[in-house]
Amino acid sequence: MPDTGIEVRDLHKEFPVRDRGLFGPRTTKTAVNGLDLDIPAGRITGLLGLNGAGKTTTIKILATLLRPTSGTVRVDDLDSVADARAVRRRINLIAGGERMVYTRMTGRENLWYFGQLYDVPKRELRARIDELLSLVGLTQAADTMVERYSRGMTQRLAIARGLINDPAYLLLDEPTLGLDAPIARDLRRVVARLAAEGTGVLLTSHYLAEVEELCAHVYVIADGRHLAAGSPAELKTATGSLGTVRVTVPQVPPAVAEVATRFGATRTPADGGGEILTLRSPDHMAGPLAAAIVGAGGAITALEIKEASLEDAILALTDGTVPGPVVLA
Amino acid sequence: MATATAWRTGRATTLRTWHMTRRAYPWTYAVGTVLPAALTIALGYLGFHAIGGGETGADFAKGSGTSAYLAYLAVGATAFQFTVRLILWSAKALITEQRQGTLGALLIAPATRLPYLLGFTAFAVLSSIAEFLTLGVVIGALGISIPVASAPGAVAGALALIVAVFALSVGLGGLMIAAGEAHISQNTVFIVLGLLCGYTFPRDYLPGYVRWLAEAFPTTAAMDVLHGTLTGGHTLTDLAPRLAISLLLSAAYLVLGVRTLPYFERRAVERTY
Repeated sequence: MPDTGIEVRDLHKEFPVRDRGLFGPRTTKTAVNGLDLDIPAGRITGLLGLNGAGKTTTIKILATLLRPTSGTVRVDDLDSVADARAVRRRINLIAGGERMVYTRMTGRENLWYFGQLYDVPKRELRARIDELLSLVGLTQAADTMVERYSRGMTQRLAIARGLINDPAYLLLDEPTLGLDAPIARDLRRVVARLAAEGTGVLLTSHYLAEVEELCAHVYVIADGRHLAAGSPAELKTATGSLGTVRVTVPQVPPAVAEVATRFGATRTPADGGGEILTLRSPDHMAGPLAAAIVGAGGAITALEIKEASLEDAILALTDGTVPGPVVLA
Repeated sequence: MATATAWRTGRATTLRTWHMTRRAYPWTYAVGTVLPAALTIALGYLGFHAIGGGETGADFAKGSGTSAYLAYLAVGATAFQFTVRLILWSAKALITEQRQGTLGALLIAPATRLPYLLGFTAFAVLSSIAEFLTLGVVIGALGISIPVASAPGAVAGALALIVAVFALSVGLGGLMIAAGEAHISQNTVFIVLGLLCGYTFPRDYLPGYVRWLAEAFPTTAAMDVLHGTLTGGHTLTDLAPRLAISLLLSAAYLVLGVRTLPYFERRAVERTY
């Protein structure tokens, strides 16, 4: 079967909604509105947007949990509606907010059960279970009932469950939600390794640093619509996301105040006396600003530079500062 | 290939349910679950002797084909207890998955739903053996003997009842997850089946139009076969038409349930989007 990736074309999803009670007028809510996505094998693709943007609905459609109202989803050229069972063999979903494992079974029993549901060959299943338990650091707790697991352990088991069928495409919906930092870091390493080995990954996460670290390509959506696409660096550049320079000065003589005005810096009182001049700019303005302050006879007690982040880019896109859609690649 | 996959799914589900139930409930749970049936039989015993003077009315004998009221009651109460257990396991399987947060993981797996539900049914049948044995002790202690007019017929009737309840459970399970509700629907079904299908009293006591309604359920004909071949003095051949009706109705319910289940599953997911 060709690894053509997941191709989403003109995807729409509407949900029926009753406005008032059981017998109120029935309307529809549009959750996804004309999305096009490409999730190739061997790449981690991000799907970002604010709450209610349509990310989880999109992932549920890709996972065959929901049917699109219109549009198509093809996984390695298989239609996700007509060939749903074949698609399910090639994908898996890990959702951070849902348990997805049985608490009155051990970790090993859970993986065995899902191995049966995915029809993993018997001769491979035992070895794969051991491998996955090791991968998520649960070898020692393999035969402990899940109800005795911590939240992080349960989440790690859910991740192992999502890998039981060795999926060609992995859908990750907030996979590190509730995980301790070291475990989240280990998961990121696992995801990066899977992608390097050829697995296509779609990742949604509110931890944008995670997305920035992992994703080669990011889609930004709002109200179910496509806003932008590109690499994290391209998105930051295209949205003109602003870096921040904060200069702490012990006092602000008129010449320094004039410099602040000229550069468009804001002035706020500093905790230990003096003032903080804050400048948000897409360019690297720390040097010129500092030089101007010193040139105007001012002194500098602290200088802080913060690079533009993906978060700034997403906020710029979703709050309408930058008109979309911005398609970079 | 598909059969082997289905077998793996069904067998794994039976084993999984066995492990989870054994850990969740003590063995006394199986004894506790027979109490409603034991109480029905005991109250029937008291009423039969204290109020009826140990005599069966002619109308009962005419409707049921036997004057052995307590034997009829014991068979019916046991069968109804089994019906309740089977519905609680099979029909509630999916909504239980939904409540414990595992429905999504189940639905995205390529395994089909029918063997999964059959796995629950197999578990329910196996676990009912302990309940039957316990009920047998109660029935024996009350001195009630169950005549067996036709052993093959009784086996066929019991199997038809299992098939009938399973067929009803598939569609009911779909309705439960779509509505996100189990208690009202399951208890409504228990009441309807218990009143209409001739478990513990002959349907002749019901108004005519209700008797027609009872014929819409495959459990009614299955109970006719079970009662008839145990206490009614009939052979399997006598009741072959009723057996056929039960199986045909079960097939119809099963097809309807299997066809509509994917729709109900999607509704369940949409309800929580």
